[in-house]
Amino acid sequence: MIHTKSRWLLWVVGAVFLLLYPRLFGIYYSNIFVTFAIYALYAVSLNLLLGYTGLLSFGHAMYFGTGAYGTALALAHIEGLPLIPAVLAGFLAALLLSVCIAPLVVRVSGNAFAMMHLAFGQLMFVLALKLRHITGGEDGIGGFDIPPFSIPGVVSLDMTDPILFFYFAIAVIAGSLWLLWFFTKTPFGQIMVAVRDNANRVDYLGFRVPHTKAVVYVISGSFAGIAGSIYALFQNLVAAYDAYGILTSFVPVMMTMVGGVGQFFGPIFGAAIFGLLDEFTSRYTDRVELVLGLVLVLVIMYAPHGFAGFMTYLRMRWFAKKTA
Amino acid sequence: MDASAAMYVAQGIHGLAYGMILFLVASGLTLIFGMMGVLNLAHAAFFMLSAYFGYQMLAWTGSFWVALLVAPVVTAVFGILLEHFLLKKVHAFGHMGELILTVGVSLIILDGVKAIWGTESLPLSMPPVLEGLINIGGLQYPIYRLFIIAMALALLLILSLVLYKTRLGMVVRAAVADAEMVNALGINVPVVFMLVFGFGTWMAGVAGVAIAPILTVFPGLADQMGMDAFIVVVVGGFGSLGGAFLVSIIGGLISSYGVQFLSQYAAVLMFVFMAVALAIKPMGLFGERE
Repeated sequence: MIHTKSRWLLWVVGAVFLLLYPRLFGIYYSNIFVTFAIYALYAVSLNLLLGYTGLLSFGHAMYFGTGAYGTALALAHIEGLPLIPAVLAGFLAALLLSVCIAPLVVRVSGNAFAMMHLAFGQLMFVLALKLRHITGGEDGIGGFDIPPFSIPGVVSLDMTDPILFFYFAIAVIAGSLWLLWFFTKTPFGQIMVAVRDNANRVDYLGFRVPHTKAVVYVISGSFAGIAGSIYALFQNLVAAYDAYGILTSFVPVMMTMVGGVGQFFGPIFGAAIFGLLDEFTSRYTDRVELVLGLVLVLVIMYAPHGFAGFMTYLRMRWFAKKTA
Repeated sequence: MDASAAMYVAQGIHGLAYGMILFLVASGLTLIFGMMGVLNLAHAAFFMLSAYFGYQMLAWTGSFWVALLVAPVVTAVFGILLEHFLLKKVHAFGHMGELILTVGVSLIILDGVKAIWGTESLPLSMPPVLEGLINIGGLQYPIYRLFIIAMALALLLILSLVLYKTRLGMVVRAAVADAEMVNALGINVPVVFMLVFGFGTWMAGVAGVAIAPILTVFPGLADQMGMDAFIVVVVGGFGSLGGAFLVSIIGGLISSYGVQFLSQYAAVLMFVFMAVALAIKPMGLFGERE
């Protein structure tokens, strides 16, 4: 175990690094980092379902997309809406959708759960394409004003400045990640893990399994909504394919698998690996999907516990040698 | 027959033809699932791959019939390779591993065909015998779609004869019910699995080549069909062949009449149908287990 004091030091170093990051690497790499952070939050929210509760969703994009559309629509239609309520609009939209869908899906698991989500996700995609007067169809909603981050009388930060936006996005995402991490450590979070391992036994112990699943489901969906909302602010454009497309649903699943399923930091590693992979393969080839597919097949064949599992394996070996 | 009645009948036959193609794809999917518990997300990619193979065969030999015979067999070989060298190895990690693996394979196939054949839609011409229209009671109807219906019905007949009248079919049905027990009885279940997987991809391959002259061959071919086939399997009940047949026909009719009457929302109708069916019977219409 890492000593408590050195753990604090690690946090401080991390925070200072993030604070200096835009100065050190410039705007281009700041934007790449924001994209990575958005996907990290999105994948962590998915891992709450996949890794902690054992529910695989192939339609998580519906919450990401709804969060993005929620924020974009609110900003496009409400004059003078401040920044925080705009993010809340995305969060609430995703929350509302997950509350509606949860009763339908918490009683199934495994393949049926995955397939129902594939179908619901596609339903949202088709609706976003067809309801042009609301969503703008394929072209999407773009060019809405990004309000400044302001506390009246104290500060007003212009969010169209990429560096200030970097700080805002990282703050919101880090805060959300911290909340999710905290959630997994609560007694309720422990029941959630128990549901994955043996749902029957949890049922016999007197905990209500469908209710537990429903709560986790709603939390997972709403935080995916926050990721989507930041995405909308970052891109200043939300279109059907990027928000609800099938690949948007598959990407967090792949990140979670590659990073390490069931470990809190796994999806974050996964998002980082995918970010780097995307950045470097797209420089050399157009066949990004082909590379993704190959990586997925190789990971599942040779490292089924992902990057985090590989790290645990290394650490175990290292400690085993030390004590021996 | 007056004009509107003719229109209804024509749309009905259109729906039947699409339903039959849907059944060819979905039956392979449901058979593989029922037998091995593997939800093959690369199934639709094989369907598309076979259409591309068919295009290539036609380009090389100039005969549609050769394409229809050879392309699905080549596709089935790919399916068997996938099952033998990849799927079998990840079986230990449960459904999650299989789902992720088949997603990976389908990404490779989808991007691979784009790399080899490009993204434009390629025409695949039908044989001269099946071109043109036939007169059914005053209704002019394309022969080719009737051919699709007849071919699918013939395949369905053969499939049910094999499944219910032969020893092999008995083994397959027994393995669906309890694979471990059948294995203990001295039957080589892994080989049966491999054959079923190959047969399932072959069916999808036949459907791919058969639909190519109507829709042309393009990378998006897998999307629509894959989604519809999954809906059929989910609504029909995982692993139920009869359910898959009935729901395929219903699905085909829904999409053809949907385009006629609610063209704006035709694409959503299948999902609405699924949502309603699952709300009433969560395990699917003919499903007993998950």
